[in-house]
Amino acid sequence: MKKTELHMWGVIVSYALNAVMLGLLIFSIWRGQFVWIFGSALALTVSLIPAILKRNYQITLPLILDVLITLALLLHVGGGLLGGYDLPHYDTLTHFVSSFLVAFIAFVIIYILDEYWDGLIMDDYAMAFVVVLATVAMGVVWELSEWSVDMIFGTVEQWGYDDTVKDLFVDMLAGIVMAVLGVLMIKRGSFDELTEDLGEQLDKQLIQKQHGGPSNE
Amino acid sequence: MSKISTLCGKQCLSFTLLLRIVMIISIILAYWRQDWVWVIGTIFGLFISFLPSILKRDATFTLPWILDLLLALVTILHVCGRLLDYYYTIPGYQLVTRFFISLLVAFIGLAMIYILDEHWDGLQMDKSAMAFLTVLFTMAMGVFLEFIKYLNITGTYYTKTNQVLMLNLSADTVAGICIAILGVSLIKSGRLDTMTDEFGNQIDKLVIDRFEKKTPKKKRGK
Repeated sequence: MKKTELHMWGVIVSYALNAVMLGLLIFSIWRGQFVWIFGSALALTVSLIPAILKRNYQITLPLILDVLITLALLLHVGGGLLGGYDLPHYDTLTHFVSSFLVAFIAFVIIYILDEYWDGLIMDDYAMAFVVVLATVAMGVVWELSEWSVDMIFGTVEQWGYDDTVKDLFVDMLAGIVMAVLGVLMIKRGSFDELTEDLGEQLDKQLIQKQHGGPSNE
Repeated sequence: MSKISTLCGKQCLSFTLLLRIVMIISIILAYWRQDWVWVIGTIFGLFISFLPSILKRDATFTLPWILDLLLALVTILHVCGRLLDYYYTIPGYQLVTRFFISLLVAFIGLAMIYILDEHWDGLQMDKSAMAFLTVLFTMAMGVFLEFIKYLNITGTYYTKTNQVLMLNLSADTVAGICIAILGVSLIKSGRLDTMTDEFGNQIDKLVIDRFEKKTPKKKRGK
C-alpha cells in the first residue's frame, strides 16, 4: 500500500471514529443520560484537539496519534454508555489502548527531543527502555489519582488490589509493545517520517524560542 | 589536609566494614527466617558494596558514602522489621522502610544515569532530564517490586491491600522526587562527579568500552 493511500485510510478511520463519537453524543441525549452527555461532549471536544492545533497553531500531530486519542475516548465513552464495561476483559482492553496511547506520546516526545534538542541524545534502545519506564510511571500517577478521588469524593474508581496490579501490568505490557514497535519503526525510518512535521514545528515554536536561535540540525 | 583525608579514609573504610558485617548477619538471619527475597536482596547489596573493590582490585576503594549509608540503613531497618516483628507491631514501620528502599533505588538509578551520561556515547542528558528520569525509574522499579509481591514467587507473607499498595507507590514517588532534587544539587556542585568518578571509570573500562566496540556508533544529525 502506498503512503498516500495509507494516509487517506487513516483520515477515513479518524473521521469515522469521530462520527461514531457524535452518534454516541446523540444517543446519550436521546436516552437522557446527563453524565454521558457531558462525557461524550467532552470526549468529542478532546478528539477535535488535533484539528484545532493544526488550524490555529500550525501543529500537525501524527495521524496515528489522532486515531489513538479518538479510539481511547470512544472505548471509554462507548463502554460507559452501552454497558461495555460489563463485558469480560473490556476494562483491560480500554486500559491497554489508553496506556499504548501514553507510550506512543512518550516515544514521540523523547524521539523529537533527541532529534531537535541539544539537551538530550539517546540511543534507540535506551529510548525504548525509557518509554517503558514512563508508561509504568504514568500508570502509577493514574492509579494514585483514582485513589485520591475515591478518598476525597467517596467514589469507587479503583476496584481493589488485584485490579490495580492488573492495570499496572497492562500499562507495562503496553509500554513494552510500543517500545518494540518504536525501535522497529526507527530502524526502518518510518518513525522519523511520522514525527518529522511535528518535530520541525515544535523546534520552531518551542525549542528555538527557548534557546534564542535555531537548533544544531 | 592530608591528615583529614587519611582520617576520613579510615572512617569511610570502617563504615564500609560495618556495613558488610551487617549485611552478612542479615543474610544469615534472612536464611534462618526463609525470607528468600531478602537473601537475594542482601547478597545483591553485598555484591554492590564489594563491586568497586573487585573492579579496582583495591580493598580501600569504596562506594559513595550515601550509597553505603542507604544500604546499611535499609538492611538494618528490614532486619529489625523481620526479626523483631516491627512490621506488624509498629504502625507505619513498613512504609518508612519502603521509603528508604526507594531512596536507595533512586540513588542507584541516578548514579547509573549519571555514569552513562558521562561515559557512554548513547546517552547525554540535561540535568533536569536526568532528575525526571530518576523519578520515572524509581516509580517503575516500585511497580516491579509490587509485581514480585503479587506473584508471591518467594512464598513470603506480605500485606496485600489496595491501601498498602497505594501508600507504597506514593512512598516510591516521593523518594524519587527527593533524590532527583538532591541529585540536581549534587550535579551542580560537582559532588556527584567526585562521588562517581572512579567507579564510573571502572565501569567505562569494563563494560561500556567493550559494548561500544561491539556496536558501531550511531551517527547523530544534531
